[in-house]
Amino acid sequence: MFLMETIPLIILRTLWISGTAVVLSLLWSLPLAYLLSRKHGLAKIMVPVFDALIGVPTVLIGLVLYMLFSSRGPLGFLGLLYTPYAIIIGEAILVTPLITSTTYHVLNNVISTYGELALTLGATDKQAMMVALREGLPGVLASIAMAFSRASGELGIALMVGGNIKGYTRVMTTAIALEVSRGEFESAIMLGVVLVVIVVSTSIAIRFLQRKVYG
Amino acid sequence: MAVPGVYMNKIIVAVLTVIIAVVLASVLYVGYYSREIHVRVATTTSLYATGLLDYLAEAFEEKRSGVVFDFIPVGSGEALRRAANGDACMVFVHAPSLEKKYIEQGVLDEGHIFAYNYFVIVGPSSDPANVSRASSVIDAFKRIYRVGEEGKALFISRGDNSGTHVRELSIWARAGLNPRGRSWYLETGSGMGETLLVANEKKAYTLSDIGTYLKYKKDGRIPYLTILYTNDSELINIYSVYIVKSCSGSERKMAEEFMKFVIGEVGQKLISEYKVKEYGVRLFNPVNGRLELLRSLWVKLSEG
Amino acid sequence: MAIEFSNVWYRYPGSRKWVLSSVDVGFDESRIYVVFGPNGSGKTTLLKIASLIYRPVKGKVFAWGYDYWSLPNSKRIELRRRIVYVHEKPVLFKGTVEYNIAYGLMIRGLDRHEALVKARVLLEKLGLSYLADKKTNGLSAGEAQLVAILRAIVLEPRILVLDEPFAHLDSSKRDKIMELVLELRENGTGVVIASHDVFLAKAIAERVIVVENGKVLKPD
Repeated sequence: MFLMETIPLIILRTLWISGTAVVLSLLWSLPLAYLLSRKHGLAKIMVPVFDALIGVPTVLIGLVLYMLFSSRGPLGFLGLLYTPYAIIIGEAILVTPLITSTTYHVLNNVISTYGELALTLGATDKQAMMVALREGLPGVLASIAMAFSRASGELGIALMVGGNIKGYTRVMTTAIALEVSRGEFESAIMLGVVLVVIVVSTSIAIRFLQRKVYG
Repeated sequence: MAVPGVYMNKIIVAVLTVIIAVVLASVLYVGYYSREIHVRVATTTSLYATGLLDYLAEAFEEKRSGVVFDFIPVGSGEALRRAANGDACMVFVHAPSLEKKYIEQGVLDEGHIFAYNYFVIVGPSSDPANVSRASSVIDAFKRIYRVGEEGKALFISRGDNSGTHVRELSIWARAGLNPRGRSWYLETGSGMGETLLVANEKKAYTLSDIGTYLKYKKDGRIPYLTILYTNDSELINIYSVYIVKSCSGSERKMAEEFMKFVIGEVGQKLISEYKVKEYGVRLFNPVNGRLELLRSLWVKLSEG
Repeated sequence: MAIEFSNVWYRYPGSRKWVLSSVDVGFDESRIYVVFGPNGSGKTTLLKIASLIYRPVKGKVFAWGYDYWSLPNSKRIELRRRIVYVHEKPVLFKGTVEYNIAYGLMIRGLDRHEALVKARVLLEKLGLSYLADKKTNGLSAGEAQLVAILRAIVLEPRILVLDEPFAHLDSSKRDKIMELVLELRENGTGVVIASHDVFLAKAIAERVIVVENGKVLKPD
């Protein structure tokens, strides 16, 4: 009950934190995936590593970041601990292997098919790359939806470096954990349902966007 | 560019819009948030989960605007560890032996007992170990051990180094028994609520704080469990508040004011009345005139 | 010669096996060639090298007299646009049929509208107007093959390379393509068709090139 008035804010905060984390991660994950798709030697070593890291426990990332961001830690001077930014950074790291790996596989596939096709039709290297990206975009968008789902559904990082502070770093998952420890199972379930609805509708929205774009 | 660019451009515009919106939201968020003084308070989850701290903080903030208490609910051990790392200004805990360790390390400055209640031994109403007839808490645990060895009872332990778990272990130690590894002794490694649910399912004994037990009982989640034993000295659960040594500036000033409020007349009255209407009994007892007694009990507990 | 191989060797990156070894072959405009050979003989690789898509590992490819792979990038694109390769398994871009057919024109700098009009005109000429607005993911295998070929033909290349073009086509579509090929040939385009169909090879080829185990057999 005590949560009710704050639920809309928790939802918005979750969207904001996880959305920002995914956008932030894209800044390096996409170039990294592109680099790997161009350098076969590097990809041979790195891609299996990234594939394996997709399942890394969130609480482990949370703990490492906590030790870095702690007042006594090497990055303590930044004052990031117990802020949404700490969660954003952690979740951006969390989804990096997922986005990089899936995007790499998509790019690899579209470059060898659509990229080559464009070349046969007289495209310059740059035009071929553009068309490959266009064809690969649905795959990349699907990977973004997955990353968003993973980020908004993780608990360990938000708990360790966010601190589950009411009105500031409390997100859906930490709220669920707290409700469980309070014995308020009904509201925990309700929050869980809301979280599922959010990630599913994000995925559907991205599908819809694709339809719009490709006609 | 000569590529049929219309589609691509649409997407790029959409993506840029999202990024800009996100950045703007971040900037606004920071601006909105940083106007107030924030006090970082590490606390045990079980205490935070009762809602008492939010309730006290709200009452305090009503009179003293411009301050926000950031409660970070974690385990007792983790709360003190975070304080030691300088990542909290204030701690609310109930684990005297752990507290003593960190006081000796010089992590904690000033501390006060601000409330107390009792642990209870709960179990199935059939009570195969006759715990309800025990003469002391040590006797109660001995009875459980004996019947457990006979295969007629189970004991569920938190196993998570929480205040409750630390207390349970110290009782076993004082009884001269070591149940660890016995087939009837199960460690859940999870919170009090989950542990009560396990005990209920398995019709087993466990040690619980009174607050969580009452909450779960009232919600009808643990129909098979009942309170079998408690007493007001050995099973006392003492809650203390500390200021962390490394904390300074306006954050420390606010933390000190809040501590004064909690142990002061108004705070103590709020504590004694908290949720009494809901449960019909007190969840927390105020310190009132019993400070000396509580201190001596605290010292005894802190020595394990 | 428009395209001329000089002792060309090829193997795929990371592989040690030569797919083509010591190939000397040439293709000229205004001629129909059939490259004949069993599956896995290296036909497709040969055609992709001829189309200036794959770079030989050893040897040289001359395009209209230039040593293609030693040219700077800016010069290469101009030559590469004279020769168009059509995959055996048609790959189509997402979107409509007319967009697919117009794509090559657009990347050559033609205005989007003009390119689309040209695509429609070609479809109309073949009585396929009904396909113009169709999404490519709803096409049958034969329709897709046809669109892929039209997408190449609309570019009016000097050399058109078709890799097993008749695999998915029914006889009416096949006749349409044959008609177009002959028409292109009359207008000066060289057509290179890969096939493992002996009868076809004999029926339309002005020159037959036989590939076996990565080598081009000397004509008898």
